[in-house]
Amino acid sequence: MSAAQTATEPVHAEAPAAAPVPPRFAAARRFARAFRGRPAGVAGLSILLLFTLLALLAPAFIGPDQLDVTKVNGPLLAAPSGSYPLGTDQAGRSVLLLLIWGSRESLEIGVLATVLTVVFGSAIGIVAGHFGGFVGRALMHVTDWFIALPSLPLAISLAAVLGQGSASITIAIAVTSWTATARLVRAQTLAVEARPFVERARALGAGNWQIMLRQVLPNVMPLILVSSTLTVAGSLLSEATLTFLGLGSPTDVTWGEMIHDAFFGGAFTADAWWYLLPPGLAILAVVLGFTLTGRAVEHVLDPRMENK
Amino acid sequence: MSSPSAVAEAVGAAPDPRPRRAFRVPRPGYLVTKLAAAAVSFGVTLVIGFVLFNVMPSDPVRTMTRGRPVSEAQLAALRVQLGLDKPIWERFFDYVGNTLHGNLGYSWEYQQSVASLTLSRVGPTLLLMGTSFAISVVLGLWLGMRSGWRAGSLFDRVTSSTALTLWSVPTFWLGMILLIVFSVGIGPIHGFLPTAGMSDPTLPQTGMTHYLDVARHLVLPALTMVLVVYAQYVTIMRSSIIEEKGSPYLLTARAKGLTDDAVRRRHALPNAMLPSVTMIFMHLGGLISGAVTVEAIFSWPGLGDLTYQALTIPDLPVLQGTFIVFSASVIIMNLLADLAYRVLDPRVRAQ
Amino acid sequence: MVVRESRRIRAMLAAACVSGLLVAGPAALATATAARADSSTGATSGTTLRVAMDSSGVDTLNPFTAYFNGALDLFGSIYPSLTSIDENGVPGPYLADSWTLSPDHLTWTFKIHSGLKWSDGQPLTAADAAWTLNLIMTNTVAGTANGTLVSNFASVTAPDATTLVIKTKQPQANVTYVSIPVSGIPIVPQHIWQSHVADLKDYKNDTFPVVGYGPWTLTDYQTDQYAKLDANKSFLLGAPKYDHLIEQLYKESDAAVAALKAGQLDYINGVNATQFSSLQHTGGITTAQAAGDGWTGLELNPGARTRSGKPIGTGNPALSDPVLRRAIAQAIDKKTLVAKVIDGQGQVAAGYLPPAWPQWNWTPQAGEEQSFDPAAANKMLDAAGYKTGADGIRVDPKTGKPLNLRLGIHSDSSNDSAISTYLVGWLKAIGVGVTIQPMSMTALNSDLGKGDWDMLMDSWTTGPDPTYLLGIQSCSTLPGDDGNGGNTDAFFCDPNYDKLFAQQATIFDPAQRAQVVGQMQDILYKADVDQLFYYATNKVAASTKVTGLVTGKPDNGFYPAQTSFWSYLKAAPVAQSASASSGSSTGTFVGLAGAVVVVGAGAVVVRRRRGADDRE
Repeated sequence: MSAAQTATEPVHAEAPAAAPVPPRFAAARRFARAFRGRPAGVAGLSILLLFTLLALLAPAFIGPDQLDVTKVNGPLLAAPSGSYPLGTDQAGRSVLLLLIWGSRESLEIGVLATVLTVVFGSAIGIVAGHFGGFVGRALMHVTDWFIALPSLPLAISLAAVLGQGSASITIAIAVTSWTATARLVRAQTLAVEARPFVERARALGAGNWQIMLRQVLPNVMPLILVSSTLTVAGSLLSEATLTFLGLGSPTDVTWGEMIHDAFFGGAFTADAWWYLLPPGLAILAVVLGFTLTGRAVEHVLDPRMENK
Repeated sequence: MSSPSAVAEAVGAAPDPRPRRAFRVPRPGYLVTKLAAAAVSFGVTLVIGFVLFNVMPSDPVRTMTRGRPVSEAQLAALRVQLGLDKPIWERFFDYVGNTLHGNLGYSWEYQQSVASLTLSRVGPTLLLMGTSFAISVVLGLWLGMRSGWRAGSLFDRVTSSTALTLWSVPTFWLGMILLIVFSVGIGPIHGFLPTAGMSDPTLPQTGMTHYLDVARHLVLPALTMVLVVYAQYVTIMRSSIIEEKGSPYLLTARAKGLTDDAVRRRHALPNAMLPSVTMIFMHLGGLISGAVTVEAIFSWPGLGDLTYQALTIPDLPVLQGTFIVFSASVIIMNLLADLAYRVLDPRVRAQ
Repeated sequence: MVVRESRRIRAMLAAACVSGLLVAGPAALATATAARADSSTGATSGTTLRVAMDSSGVDTLNPFTAYFNGALDLFGSIYPSLTSIDENGVPGPYLADSWTLSPDHLTWTFKIHSGLKWSDGQPLTAADAAWTLNLIMTNTVAGTANGTLVSNFASVTAPDATTLVIKTKQPQANVTYVSIPVSGIPIVPQHIWQSHVADLKDYKNDTFPVVGYGPWTLTDYQTDQYAKLDANKSFLLGAPKYDHLIEQLYKESDAAVAALKAGQLDYINGVNATQFSSLQHTGGITTAQAAGDGWTGLELNPGARTRSGKPIGTGNPALSDPVLRRAIAQAIDKKTLVAKVIDGQGQVAAGYLPPAWPQWNWTPQAGEEQSFDPAAANKMLDAAGYKTGADGIRVDPKTGKPLNLRLGIHSDSSNDSAISTYLVGWLKAIGVGVTIQPMSMTALNSDLGKGDWDMLMDSWTTGPDPTYLLGIQSCSTLPGDDGNGGNTDAFFCDPNYDKLFAQQATIFDPAQRAQVVGQMQDILYKADVDQLFYYATNKVAASTKVTGLVTGKPDNGFYPAQTSFWSYLKAAPVAQSASASSGSSTGTFVGLAGAVVVVGAGAVVVRRRRGADDRE
């Protein structure tokens, strides 16, 4: 067995080498049925849907005035009450509204960083896998070098050098997490390319790009999707960590920023648990949501992990 | 270290056994290859580090002297002293030469060499990380073994879901909560653990009292690390045990009449340990850098705290120095993991 | 086969454990060595005052090269100075019992107290002071931190052990402020330091106890952790009431507050507004606030230029228009900032010098106050030709571009970010768009020096002598033509101001000097380049077990520069109880219990395995 096989990493080296291209919808339906059979996954997905819904609908019920410190007039750092279910922050804003609004930027950074990671990582992985030889080896060497760089210090340094703000945090996360995707995708690409239908395409005169985009990519896609749900979870945690370390923009409203403000703004001293707890719990819930969903999908796609 | 990307990364970096087995090079050669690769890797790290910390033009002199009556000539002298007046290529060669001589530059914030700053911080970091690492490994592997053997049982479900939940918690936030509850005290709980630092300066800094004092200061930061980190070992061990459980050789062992316990310990465990041990080594390297937030929260005087403190200015030479130290530790541990894997896997060892 | 297998598990487990130990082993060793077996540290009998060190920490223990406040506080405690600042905020005796000034205002003669001894028993005389000052005047390295303080000195001599003569090149009013505790020049023992002149740059001064003279003697220092000091019971200005002083570093003030609440700390100087409000209602803790010794405000780039007048940087040219600057000043509601950002703990600012130093107090004349009046600001801008565009943003009539300004804030300051969000709202109301740019300290200062900014958040504090703070507004601090040098605060440059600046330095009558300084503050106020928002009070929190701390008064009261110097000196324990160790024993037991649990768990794993072996 592979040493690299753990629950957190879906290695499908010899995974569904299934019948050549079954009808799409049937596969999706089968997938949905199998997914429904995993309550943890369903729970995770529900959490994610709930938060996504909240994030999308937030502008409908939160006006800009409610988060503008010059406009709000709530008591400063007040405990939860009827009009402020989760209390207020140092500027007199409702923590509940901040929490909901924060889901927008936090999720945005998480998803954006993941998209960057996945696109870049997959590109490197597929190219490295497809072109063996010098190019492939060179790319894998570069990947190895990046793996040797400690991720958190690298992200911290990058964000410190690029300057404060969500953009640099997003880039820092992507730079530090693409390597995992690249390795996964390369392994899978190698497996896919060994299959007869790629052989056939090659024999029919398909070019490199055609093979990579038409044959390899669709077959690597499910794996990429699974790994990206786990990457989002990681990105969210990294975002919170980097923001907490003071690398975010203090004017943004994200969960990490809320914890940062709470911790460094005296909420700690004032025993303002209503300000400290919610953003952390929100991060916990969403990260857990992504992890549960990712694992469930992973299990569904790779029945070998079904061990009961 | 709580970042799953780090986990995935470490796993991704795990030596892929298949090509290695085909790779029949005698051991000394293998060692040399690996060492060379590590050296190249370190060289690349140096370049990345330099580029990273020198692309941004920065003039720390005003920050360093802010609020003090300093004349212009003094500012200029300070710039020369920090080597900021040299062209970039010259700085690069200085940097490479200096790093190889163990000289990591001169801090902007502290009037000290980065090497002596980092060196004084290595001990506390190793103490914190070593303790939490040892506890997490023992706890994680034990729980993982138990829950993997009885996959699906109540014990397994409780263990797995607790591990997963704790793993999803932002480390620094967990630390904050623990700090409030156990150090400051909240409601009826009266805080009884120290809030910050590694020792109480009012106590003598030697002898038994000192060790107990350090242990006391160690409880919360180590607990925070353990709670977040142990989950990874549970997961690895659990899935390896599950893999092994289905193997035919276990059936044979059972057929020999061995008890369930004995089968688990004698047969399943050794094989399941292999990926775990590899994984553990991979983790060791990243471990040192994993404590940035925990050390920051608890003002634990280690490398992570140093990194965190350097961020405000930002003290680029210190950030660069800690970055190099962190990278070096990852590279060394990866090398050890590779070697350990070879030693531990009988199939590879046999060659 | 089976046996071999089992040995292998154990080997593996051992490997895992050993790797853990490998990691922990050297660490324990390192800790052991770090805990220097210092003879003096063993003696911790007597009372101990535990205070939070200034959060900047100590950059070096070498007083010639240190810049950080944490270090300066320490030097104030362990090295003497010529004068101290008395409770009226003016120079009083320390090493010098008295001083006289020659009629030509060029020669100062200090009478040094006789019979003083350094902590190692060597005599402390005027020669030490002369040597220290001369070294700073002649040696560039020695002048690193304090060189400019003596740049006008012509000579410093010690004709005998109790006389110090300082001759200045030009008359200089603030000579008695040059060597004061904390913010002035510390006098060091010649017999210790003369052998380190050659390697002054690298001399760490970390041989404990550090030879000095002051209310305290430094016995131990751990970088970024703590400094331990013992009382000098024969101190000239009165013996400290405590036997030991420990300054512990907390980089985050919340950690310090947590320690205070948990009884692990006695005194914090400088808590923030939120912390102060909550500590006011915490049992066992007393709080106090004193008139602020600094201000927080906004700088506008009036057109950055070099000393010779060459424009530099990317500042928005619109801000060179005084009308726009005045409009911005009137659009900002300082009262709200005081109420919301610092929870009412401070006063609205006007004069450039803060209220902690009432001798420099200046208020705008009646009718010249810039009050919060957005309507008037809008009218003013309309009249000046700033037409409002479709999006509500005004257009600069000179360039035809919309008025969008960058606002640089310190990313590590929660006050900056709070204030900046208010500014965005208020400036929008007068048709000025604002983009907030959080920056690290270095990035911000580097942009500042190059003139690459429109608006920056700024704050300064000052000691009793305002020369430095006034100086950063003079033309001579502008950068040279190569863009280097200069420590200008906001590229302000006004010849009249510079003339007054030179004049005030030579006026020896305090009232007259204050009047000239007042005129300078008037010029600054009307220029609207440094728009001051508020003077936050200096807030302290202390355990009720400590009394006598010098805390000052909340409004115009005096506030001694050397808070740390006087506070630590005057602080006294309320009751002589061994309270320090009461909490720690419980913790030790919990720590021990934790260790026992861990070890126990390990033992169980091992034992069970052994049991299985036996059963085989």
